[in-house]
Amino acid sequence: MSAAGSPVTGTVLNIQRYCSHDGPGIRTTVFLKGCSLRCKWCSNPESIHPKPELAYDARLCSGAKECGLCLKAPFPEGAFFTVPGPDDKVRVNWDLASDCDQETVSLCPTDALYMFGATMSADEVLDEVEKDASFYRTSGGGMTLSGGEAAMFPDFATALLQGAHERGINTAIETAANVPWRFLEQMLPHVDTVLHDLKVMDAERHKKWTGVSNKRLLENFKKAYETFPDKTFIARRPLIPGVNDDEEDIRAALAFIRPHKNVIDFELLPYMRFGLGKYHMLGQIYELEDFEPPTEESMQRLQAIIDEAFGRSGEEAPS
Amino acid sequence: MNTKTRRIAMNVGGGYIPGMNAVVKGATLAAAELGWEVVGIRNGFAGLLEPGDYPEGGLITVSPQLAEMLDPAASSVLGQSPRDDPFHMRHVDEDGMLEEVDRSDDLLAAFKEQGIDALVSLVGGQGLSVLYKLHRKGLNAVCIPRSVENDIAATMVSLGFNSALSFTIEMLDRAREAARSSRQIAVVEVQGEQAGWLALQAGTAASADAILIPELAVDLDAVAEHLRGKMSAERPFGLVVVAEGIGLADASPSADKPSPMQASLSPLAGGEATGHAIERSGRASKIVANRLQLKLAEKTYPAVLGPWARGGAPTAVDRQLGLGYGAAAIRALNEDQDGVMVAFQPPDIVFVPLLEAINKVRTVPADSEMMLIARTLGICLGGVQ
Repeated sequence: MSAAGSPVTGTVLNIQRYCSHDGPGIRTTVFLKGCSLRCKWCSNPESIHPKPELAYDARLCSGAKECGLCLKAPFPEGAFFTVPGPDDKVRVNWDLASDCDQETVSLCPTDALYMFGATMSADEVLDEVEKDASFYRTSGGGMTLSGGEAAMFPDFATALLQGAHERGINTAIETAANVPWRFLEQMLPHVDTVLHDLKVMDAERHKKWTGVSNKRLLENFKKAYETFPDKTFIARRPLIPGVNDDEEDIRAALAFIRPHKNVIDFELLPYMRFGLGKYHMLGQIYELEDFEPPTEESMQRLQAIIDEAFGRSGEEAPS
Repeated sequence: MNTKTRRIAMNVGGGYIPGMNAVVKGATLAAAELGWEVVGIRNGFAGLLEPGDYPEGGLITVSPQLAEMLDPAASSVLGQSPRDDPFHMRHVDEDGMLEEVDRSDDLLAAFKEQGIDALVSLVGGQGLSVLYKLHRKGLNAVCIPRSVENDIAATMVSLGFNSALSFTIEMLDRAREAARSSRQIAVVEVQGEQAGWLALQAGTAASADAILIPELAVDLDAVAEHLRGKMSAERPFGLVVVAEGIGLADASPSADKPSPMQASLSPLAGGEATGHAIERSGRASKIVANRLQLKLAEKTYPAVLGPWARGGAPTAVDRQLGLGYGAAAIRALNEDQDGVMVAFQPPDIVFVPLLEAINKVRTVPADSEMMLIARTLGICLGGVQ
């Protein structure tokens, strides 16, 4: 509950059960909607804006002749239209369709129109998370808060993390930490494992590819390592050839984290272009379409550098 | 007739388009005849929303003397504004976090503060929607249609189309000669995401063998068969013109599949979301050339004209149209028209309410004279008739 006594709420994008890569054990990952970066490779564009957002999957539209419900009230005037030609499916005027609310969107009979994100209270989320409590106990898992950027919503995130602890559930958070330190300071006491991004160490490149400088987030990480020595930190990098796959930047990241013994690993996540379709569903343009996933050879070479820095052989590296 | 002295602003939505200076000239000279003042907003709405970025001021006074001196083939003095939407402006908040904010109220306040009582805006399809939203919030706006694809339905001709058409024909002539010299089949992509006017008219003028447009389903087996019939020892080459927005019925989905790990990180990781196969410049010609290559012995190769057609000097038609549209926008304001787009509906220039102008795509009708001409000349239009 908030200080005023009303339930703390937030915009939840998804609650995904049985996740195995978002921290130890089997976990339920709660995706909060809203992000403070604009990474050009983002594969989850639906997680960027903090409010519920209209999406359209043209594959599910049954066409204007068969349906056409969205071409008239209560759908906003001018929000949907058709184009003469072989394709009878409706088109979206994204400038005018942003006025659609959940109630209106739910009238679409084929679910071609739907909303990304729903407002939920912390208790509603935790009740859902708690359904798999037995799996968490047997596997050492728990709840992971992800995004977007979960740390953008310190009150809601803290309510979730603290509430999970009160229910005996292990907690983790995925964050890029581009938030004021006071946000992290509020949340981290209730987190067991911190999975944090180290996207690019070079400040100029970080601004070019994510929209902001990395000065503050690096300060936040350092302060977090030192302020919370009992927490486990795992650094991560989405590896994108030509953006952040050079040895120099990998070594700079290792030099940043290795002095801190509570940072136990640096994981490389190979870039995949699977987010393209979702950009279309939101009426957006994907700017990084020509980028390719890293090669196996490149992944192995960089992983070997990381393994060496952590004093382990490649065979012993965490999977 | 409006008799009061007015202060009119002009701006440009989107990038360069041939003829934009003719619009500025037409509007400014027509306004001067009424004793009105014209100011230009630099770079879309940026000159009003971020005046601090412009040491010489975000507004520029456009005098008749300045307008008469404008180079018809140069970029507008008003600048450009690709993807400029005051309802979704990227912004860094006081906590250093990026967000997109609605600055439409700030914009309307800036109009008021500057004593501007109407806007003449040169915009394309998306810009029309943005201006319609601003009009709903109280902005007195008159729009001028711009589209090299000529896909704005309420007007017969949008500014820039004729210049793009002339350039495209010239380039297709060259592509045809190059294909003849190399004894190959050129597959040339031109702009046209939803409407195939540019491909159809330019392709017909350049005597293409096949023209593929978004309005017609494409059967590449039939296109290949048509090319086989046209090619011979005496004529060992071919020219296929492809609009960038064509759909292929058997378009295969992307080969990219999320790994289980990435899928677990993403609530919706699941590959492509639409059946619309071609959505980016260069892709249409590449796919068609590759697939025709599998069906034909002769070598096929893709080429992309794409955005090149947006540059260059305006043709005589676009210079006249620009002047006419600019002057008509002032006439609309003088007749107290509000929230309209000027449109050429031969023989008249008329004023169409913005709500009627948005969302309607001017596609090529199946029974149009242009299609009939192409078919009569033996040009294959996608194979499915």
